[in-house]
Amino acid sequence: MNSVSPMTGEATPLALAVLSEIATALARLAETGEETTIDLKSLPLSPDDLARLGELLGEGEVRCDLEVAGRSEVRETGFSGVWWIRHLGLGDEVALEEIAITFVPEILHAHPDDVARAARRLAEAVTAPLADEEETPRG
Amino acid sequence: MAEFATLGERLAEHGISRRAFVKYASYLGSLMALAPEVSRSMAAELAKARRQSVIWLSFQECTGCTESITRSYSPTLEDLIFDFISLDYHETLMAASGEGIEHARKEAMAANKGKYIVAVDGSIPLKDGGIYSTSAGQSNLAILEETCKDAFAVISIGTCAAFGGIPKAKPNPTGAVSVADIIKDKPIINIPGCPPIPEAMTGTIAYLLAFGKVPELDHLGRPKAFFGDNIHDRCYRRPFYERGQFAKSFDDEGARAGWCLYEVGCKGPVTYNACATTKWNGGVSFPIQSGHGCLGCSEPDFWDKGGFYVPLSGSVGPTAKLVGGAAIAGAVAGLAAAAVARHRKSSLNKG
Ligand code: SF4
Repeated sequence: MNSVSPMTGEATPLALAVLSEIATALARLAETGEETTIDLKSLPLSPDDLARLGELLGEGEVRCDLEVAGRSEVRETGFSGVWWIRHLGLGDEVALEEIAITFVPEILHAHPDDVARAARRLAEAVTAPLADEEETPRG
Repeated sequence: MAEFATLGERLAEHGISRRAFVKYASYLGSLMALAPEVSRSMAAELAKARRQSVIWLSFQECTGCTESITRSYSPTLEDLIFDFISLDYHETLMAASGEGIEHARKEAMAANKGKYIVAVDGSIPLKDGGIYSTSAGQSNLAILEETCKDAFAVISIGTCAAFGGIPKAKPNPTGAVSVADIIKDKPIINIPGCPPIPEAMTGTIAYLLAFGKVPELDHLGRPKAFFGDNIHDRCYRRPFYERGQFAKSFDDEGARAGWCLYEVGCKGPVTYNACATTKWNGGVSFPIQSGHGCLGCSEPDFWDKGGFYVPLSGSVGPTAKLVGGAAIAGAVAGLAAAAVARHRKSSLNKG
C-alpha cells in the first residue's frame, strides 16, 4: 500500500498511522461492541493525508445529508461500521470532521423526546386537519 | 412556558431537534478533547438545562473581546450558544439604557440569585478611588463587587479581566488590577487572550451549563481544555525549530520558506492557548501561520516581557536556556506521536 497522496503524489505517512488505528478500533467494535471516535481536526493531517485516508477507506452504501444547525454529511466508508462524519459551518467550512467506528452514528438516531413530540403533532393533525384550515385567519 | 422550559423544549418549539445538541456537543468535544461519552452526556445535559442568565460587565477594555465572541465563525453551529444563554445585561449590545437597564440588571440578579454567571471584560482601576472608569455613576470596583455578590461563578474574559492586561502595562497609570485580585469568594474562570478565541468562551459557558461545574483549570485559572497546550508544542513550524532553521528577519529567505520565527521574537514556547489547533476565523489561520511570531497574549503581563520582536533568550526570565534547545538540531519528534495524543477513545480520558 503506497502512502502517497492521490492528488499531489506527496508522501502521506500519517494516513497510514490513522488507518491502523481505525483497524484496531473496528476489530474492537466487532468483538466487544465498543465504539471509538477519532477526531480528524485534532490531528496534524495535511490535505494530502486526508485525501489519501479517504482513498484508502473508500465509499460504502450509505450517504446522508443533514440539516441540523447547519449542514452535516455522514458517509459510510467501504468498511462497514466505519463512518466519515463532517459538520459544516458557514460557507461550508468544515467545523468538525471525525471518523466514528460504530454500528449507527448517534446523530442519525431520532431522539425519544423528538419522537414523542412528533407523535403528538401527528395525532393532532389526524384528528383536526380540517378545523385547522378553517381556523386559519385570512390575510 | 418559555422561561421555565428546558433548552431541549425551547429548541423543539422552533422545530430544531435533539440532533442539534448532539452536533453541538461533538463540536465542543472536539475542541475540548472530551471523551466521546462525555460529549454524549453533555448533549443530554444541555437539553435538560434551563437558559443560563449571564450578566456581562465591561470595564477598562477595547470591546475586542465582545467583537470576538459575536463574530464567531460558523454562526449556524456556534450561534446555538445564544439560544442557551440569556444575556441579561451587556452595555455594548443592549438596546435599552439609563435607569431602566440598571434596574433590569438588579432584577436578573434577584431572580437568579446564586445561579447567574458574571462575565467580565476589562480590568478594574483602583487608583484615586477608582475614578478612571465609571458607568451609571458607579466605579467599576463598586459594580463588580455588587454584581458578583450572588453569582454562581465569574468568567474573566480576555487578558485585561484575567490578569490586568494592557491597562496594567507599565507604568499602569490607573492602578488597574484583575477580577481575581478583587473577588475572592467565587469560582473564577480565566479565559485570557487579546482577544480570546471565541470557542474558548462559548465552550466554557456551555460546559458550565451542561455540568453545573467549573471545568478543570490550570495554575492560572484557565480551562485546561483550551489552555493545556503549549503553542510551541502544537506549532506546525516546529520541525524547522528542531533543525535549527530560523527566519532572521521578516522578509529573508527563511521567512519565505516558512522557517521558525523564534529569532524574530516568537513567544510560542512560553504561551498556552489553542491558537495552533483551533486557530482563528473558523480554523483559517493563526498569527504564526500568517508569518508573525506569537505575542503571548494569553499570558500575564505579555506587554512588558521585553519586546515582541526580541527573542525569548534575549528577554527576561528562565527561558534563556531555550537557545541551547533551538541550536541543537535534534531528531524530529515523531509527528505520529502527536497524532495519537488527542485521540478520543471510549476507554480513555473519562471527564
Ligand atoms: S518558536 Fe514559535 S514559530 Fe518556532 S516552532 Fe515554536 S511556536 Fe512555532
